[in-house]
Amino acid sequence: MDPRLRGDDTLGWQAVLAFVVLTFFSSIAASQGTDPLKSLGFTPPKPGTYQLQHIMPVPEGTVLDVDGAEKSLQHFTRDKITLLSFIYTSCADPDGCPMAYQTFDDLKKHIVAKPEFTDKIRFVSLSFDPLRDTPEMMQHYGGSHVRDKQGVQWFFLTTPSPAALEPLVDGFGQDVQIVVDKETGRMSQELSHVLKVFLIDAQGDVREIYTTSFLLPQVVMNDIETLLMEQ
Amino acid sequence: MNPRISQPILAASLALAGLAFVAPSFADETCNSPYTTKLIKGQEDFVYVWTLGVEGLGDGHDKLVTIDVNPKSKQYGKVIASHSVGERGEAHHMGFTDDRRFLWAGGLDTSKIYIFDIARNSAKPKLIKTIANMGDKTGYVGPHTFYAMPGRMLVGALSNTKDHGGVTGMAMYNNKGDFIAKYDMPTDNGGDGYGYDIGINPGKNVLLTSSFTGWNNYMMDLGKLIKDGEAMKRFGNTMAVWDLKSMKAKKVLSVPGAPLEIRWSLKPGDNWAVTASALTSKIHLIKQDDKGEWQAKEVATIGDPAKIPLPVDISITADGKGLWVNTFMDGKTRYFDLSNPEAPTQTFEKVTGKQVNMVSQSWDGKRVYITSSLLANWDKKGEDNEQVVRAFNWDGKDLTMAFEVDFNKEKLGRAHHMKFGTKSLRTAFDEIDGEKVAVINDAQTLK
Repeated sequence: MDPRLRGDDTLGWQAVLAFVVLTFFSSIAASQGTDPLKSLGFTPPKPGTYQLQHIMPVPEGTVLDVDGAEKSLQHFTRDKITLLSFIYTSCADPDGCPMAYQTFDDLKKHIVAKPEFTDKIRFVSLSFDPLRDTPEMMQHYGGSHVRDKQGVQWFFLTTPSPAALEPLVDGFGQDVQIVVDKETGRMSQELSHVLKVFLIDAQGDVREIYTTSFLLPQVVMNDIETLLMEQ
Repeated sequence: MNPRISQPILAASLALAGLAFVAPSFADETCNSPYTTKLIKGQEDFVYVWTLGVEGLGDGHDKLVTIDVNPKSKQYGKVIASHSVGERGEAHHMGFTDDRRFLWAGGLDTSKIYIFDIARNSAKPKLIKTIANMGDKTGYVGPHTFYAMPGRMLVGALSNTKDHGGVTGMAMYNNKGDFIAKYDMPTDNGGDGYGYDIGINPGKNVLLTSSFTGWNNYMMDLGKLIKDGEAMKRFGNTMAVWDLKSMKAKKVLSVPGAPLEIRWSLKPGDNWAVTASALTSKIHLIKQDDKGEWQAKEVATIGDPAKIPLPVDISITADGKGLWVNTFMDGKTRYFDLSNPEAPTQTFEKVTGKQVNMVSQSWDGKRVYITSSLLANWDKKGEDNEQVVRAFNWDGKDLTMAFEVDFNKEKLGRAHHMKFGTKSLRTAFDEIDGEKVAVINDAQTLK
């Protein structure tokens, strides 16, 4: 049976995998000091001195929160500045989902020092593996961030089905491809994707897109401040 | 295997063990945007060739031709697909979107942009959208360079709607093909406003542009153009250094003689680029000086500039230590040792055609492909107008031809730009019988 169709025993090992990877990244950040936002090789333009273009509107669709409640995605992409990333909890690509998680974590810590921003920003991690990433799985993945009421709100969402996911993936332009064995032509269980992080303004327009290979927290923070200065 | 280690934990451990060796994917095979992913580091399966239509040859239209280039394939060296766009519009360059799902291709005469889906069936690209209003949206003519940015495509143009001269700019679209913004090439502080190629170094927040010439010149017969002294003055002589984040030009560099392709070194830690100037036949190095200022300087000569060999394309090796240079007029493919980018040295040359234009190499550098066409009105005439794609094997000492596709004989047209394809990926979401589905494996789909 295709493991993506299997509901049993996946929570345990995926939770372990996510925990190991995320813990590793946290330890890297800790070893590099307390402010990862200083690690740029150039001087970026100051917030508000440049314009972020309106790239596209956020698509509409239905998502599930960690309690399994169905909600419109717009509920999580309007009225605040939103950083949204597609993830899947079993992703171990160091340049992929764990990198996005770590960047969100770094930004959240940074924003703690700027309490005036806290209630104007939210983070969203949205799974594109709804068969394995159940609301329960997403709650495990989010850990203490799920119920944290002190810092920036961070939502861990999934979708009820691949059919519900498809318009979101398509609308954001988030690719999901299946790795195929060139010799046999058979599809593997491995998903291939260019993991992106979307910066969304309070009106629900995507204003910047980052790939995790070039996901620089200082630049993201500047972009957030640039959008806040528009308000 | 240690029986106490479960498979998932082992997988995680292996992933973590590999972290120390993982660098950001600042690379290509070998001339894509650094944002282009899913690089083909093994054997490429296909070469896509954006081909200019020739009146009276086949259907006479521009077309995307797919050649099977996997030696293990029964169709090795054969044309396996050809998608005509239904008109002739001076097909020229192409570029992948960042996720490598779509291949954008432009027509320099019609200013149309064609978007092909190469993810659903990489052996048979399908035209899914045509953008026909770039001129109306931007005032630009001649979409030339298609350069991926995250979720977007930056299109470098060559000309403008007002006078069809060389003053132009860049147009930005999202990956769906919706227009986002335009950016004029600088015309102050020494800028001539001309455009051609784009090269981004995300780690330095720098975007470089180069400069060629406008529609009036690139659509003119080459023999006539060369005799037109005034027209010959209307070529770009600059490169511009842009702040990538703000998309503002910060500095104009003097690079005489139409600097064309821009290639950043792919070696992590290198922060320099090279370009070749077509009319002066020079290689220029672009890098920061001791004060952090971006500078351009001439570092090598290609052939005998007095004979105008016309370097038209360059391809940098994955390690940043070598550079292929194709010179159109003498039909030579040359190799420069770039170990010292301050002083590139030519170490090899070979006549690979009666006229040669684009040159592309595999990631490992073992395979080199060339095409023949420069521009419809600049190509040679008569018997010298051979139109081919040639594949060569490179052993570090010589180029040995592996196969050739004769585009005249196949009634395809003029072979210009090439991009590689693979059959190792397919989109996870598909449309079957009009219904969107998630593909799970060979036998299963989920609605």
